[in-house]
Amino acid sequence: MASYIIRRLVTSIFVVVGVSAVVFCLTFLSGDPAVLMMPPNSTAEEIRAFREQQGYDDPILVQYARYMQRAVQGDFGDSIIHGQAALPLIVNRLPATLELTVASMILAICLAIPLGVFSALRRGTIFDLGGMLVALIGQSVPSFWLAIMMIYLFSVTWGLLPTSGRGGLTHLILPAIAIAVGLMALLTRLVRSTMLEVLGEDYIRTARAKGIREMLVVSRHALRNALIPLVTVIGLQFGYILGSAVVVETVFTWPGVGLFTIQAITNRDYPVVQASVFVLATAVVMINLIVDLVYGFLDPRIRVGTN
Amino acid sequence: MAKKAPHQEFSLTRRGFVAGSGLAAGGLLAVNNGLSLSALAQDGGAEVTVGMNNEPNTFDPHLAIGRHTETFLGNVYDSLVKTSVDGELIPGLATEWEQVDELTWQFKLREGVTFHNGEPFNADAVKFTFERVLDPATEATTINLVGTIDHVDVVDEYTVNIVTSQPDIVLLVRVSELYGPILPPGYFAEVGAEGIATAPVGTGPFKLTEWAKNERIVLDANPDYWGGPPAVSRVTVRPILEDSTRISALLAGEVDLINVVPYARIPELEGNGDIKVSTVPSPRVFFVAIDPRDVPFEDVRVRQALNYAVDADAIIQSLYLGHATRLATAFDVAAVGFDPSIEPYPYDPDMARQLLTDAGYPDGIDANFYAFTGSIADHSQAAEAIVAYLNEAGIRAQMNMLEFGAFGPVRVGNEAIPLFIYSIGNWSREPALTVSWMMQGDGSLFYQNQQILDLIDQALATFDVEERSAIYSEMQQLLKDDAGFIYLFQADAVFAMRSNIEFEPRPDELFYLYPLSVAGEG
Repeated sequence: MASYIIRRLVTSIFVVVGVSAVVFCLTFLSGDPAVLMMPPNSTAEEIRAFREQQGYDDPILVQYARYMQRAVQGDFGDSIIHGQAALPLIVNRLPATLELTVASMILAICLAIPLGVFSALRRGTIFDLGGMLVALIGQSVPSFWLAIMMIYLFSVTWGLLPTSGRGGLTHLILPAIAIAVGLMALLTRLVRSTMLEVLGEDYIRTARAKGIREMLVVSRHALRNALIPLVTVIGLQFGYILGSAVVVETVFTWPGVGLFTIQAITNRDYPVVQASVFVLATAVVMINLIVDLVYGFLDPRIRVGTN
Repeated sequence: MAKKAPHQEFSLTRRGFVAGSGLAAGGLLAVNNGLSLSALAQDGGAEVTVGMNNEPNTFDPHLAIGRHTETFLGNVYDSLVKTSVDGELIPGLATEWEQVDELTWQFKLREGVTFHNGEPFNADAVKFTFERVLDPATEATTINLVGTIDHVDVVDEYTVNIVTSQPDIVLLVRVSELYGPILPPGYFAEVGAEGIATAPVGTGPFKLTEWAKNERIVLDANPDYWGGPPAVSRVTVRPILEDSTRISALLAGEVDLINVVPYARIPELEGNGDIKVSTVPSPRVFFVAIDPRDVPFEDVRVRQALNYAVDADAIIQSLYLGHATRLATAFDVAAVGFDPSIEPYPYDPDMARQLLTDAGYPDGIDANFYAFTGSIADHSQAAEAIVAYLNEAGIRAQMNMLEFGAFGPVRVGNEAIPLFIYSIGNWSREPALTVSWMMQGDGSLFYQNQQILDLIDQALATFDVEERSAIYSEMQQLLKDDAGFIYLFQADAVFAMRSNIEFEPRPDELFYLYPLSVAGEG
């Protein structure tokens, strides 16, 4: 197990370094930073001066070396817009994003498990079809559209919930739902199919044959086994959730990493974009690492297989 | 606090609904601190919440980035000279001024004014402020806009001389709201540049009491303001970037005033009895640049043909729903010396074709047209329409639509030729500066006309506004006749507010909250 963990850790570090290299390159693919950062009505001479001052006229490899040297120390430079170190600006906004994403995940899981189990148990009935239809719609609806519609209904028309901003729990509900719906749909379908698979296993038949109550068969024997793949998928979906959070945070003005990143991209605030992608990528890699480890813990076959 | 968060009440009665969504209903009792409606506060003034499409990057006036930052600083800071809604330069921290000689301006300072921290305002503060912005170590973002200032001499405690390095007709504008906020030297010595960036101290009508980036800026009325305290006791500014969310927040009563309303939403808001919409022409002038260095655009008839070919009025009606002003030249309606007697080119495609034929192009011409998406103002839709009109009149314009990030290098690299759409904001009301920028001979802006350039020099050397206006009239006629650009329009800035809010948007883009009030209160 120890060597497995070390191997996974080393791979993760390589992934993060690779991501930061890609981020550096992407930044320069989007155009000449000096032109983009100067006001639109600057003269060509002002732009040239700025380019020299910022070192954007150095060879790209020199700039990359400078960038990596600082990046490994967590220094992505100062935000051009805010004049403060970029990394802390992003890290300060992590709690808001975590609050939103964790709430969405809990919401999605809490709804997906009962729905999926119920659909599996009532396979082929109108409930199953209805549940799957809802899941299909949930997966197809873009989160930004859902967000705008919910704001219109729940905030403007009925005055139930605030339109935007972060504050008490009421502020959390709409954005959390906007992110959760897609994930919930996916998880529901997953729970349903793995439940169906597990319910067909020999040990379930054995359990039933022993006369165990159906309730217990489902909850203890079937569901527990069906949940193992769920753990992996939730881990893999974390990146997707962060992606949705970027959109949803923007619509709801939720002051997290996503909103801040979108503003940084709009303003061509490169240090912040770099720090943000670095932080988000690291978060996804970490979560996947944790999930892999938990998975190995839950399912001994994985551990044995890798050793 | 007399105000009440309405959603809190609702939450209790709608508990069942929310519980059904899977969240603990008990949590709804949690404090609801993001909401506020205008209501009477304890001291009697009203509280107002503003939804803004952006947020200042800093409150350090010398490191401001973006017009949305510059136009907001005047709420916290004062400048020597201020601007009235009509664009007149009026006393601010200076009560009077006179031009001593070509380069020297003497300002008499307002006595008895203190900064929000109690520090006295005097000549030293003025000297400190301008020395700081001119100091290369500051790396001031606004240096180009105050760069004509050479130094400041303190005459006595309440008199300063500002000395420029060259005659400067817009010196008074340079020391007004956008680029001239006065800083407190004592406080700056205490907290440094990082301190004033987030915890500014000015002499302005509001004190900044809280700034949670991305969440809110809380401005409390300065009761000792030399112009009298503001009518409202507190303004909370919430940055709500998304247009539809900002409008929703207004409709839901969470905010009382919003800026930047998309034109398409105006009719809906105007039809709402609780909301009123207010518009004002913004000083950003849209145009299509023409490269006249080569055939066919070296011929004035071809350039005039371009102007006749485009139905700018129709574009204003369809894309801006009428909320834009047709312009004859690069002069916006609020510019010094704007001459309404110079009429825009009428839409006349037959005339355009005739002019092309006269110029020797009976079969029309081909040209590349550059436009972009994703900038502060939408140029792309207008560009699409313009290209369609040009094609109808026989100017086969080939559209190259780029993302703004990709467009920038193309333009600066002098490759956005022969035609591209662009705009320029007239920050100083002084069109000589705008036109001179448009004729810089670089950045794909290649139209130059010696007569106009001479008039620019003349205007910049003429301190008398009447005389300058006469020069400007001549300039506008030349600009139109020589058709160096396709002249288009200036769009309106659109604000919407709850019907009890009194707020008049300004033609100079300042988001100045001092005159804001709530009907029947304060």
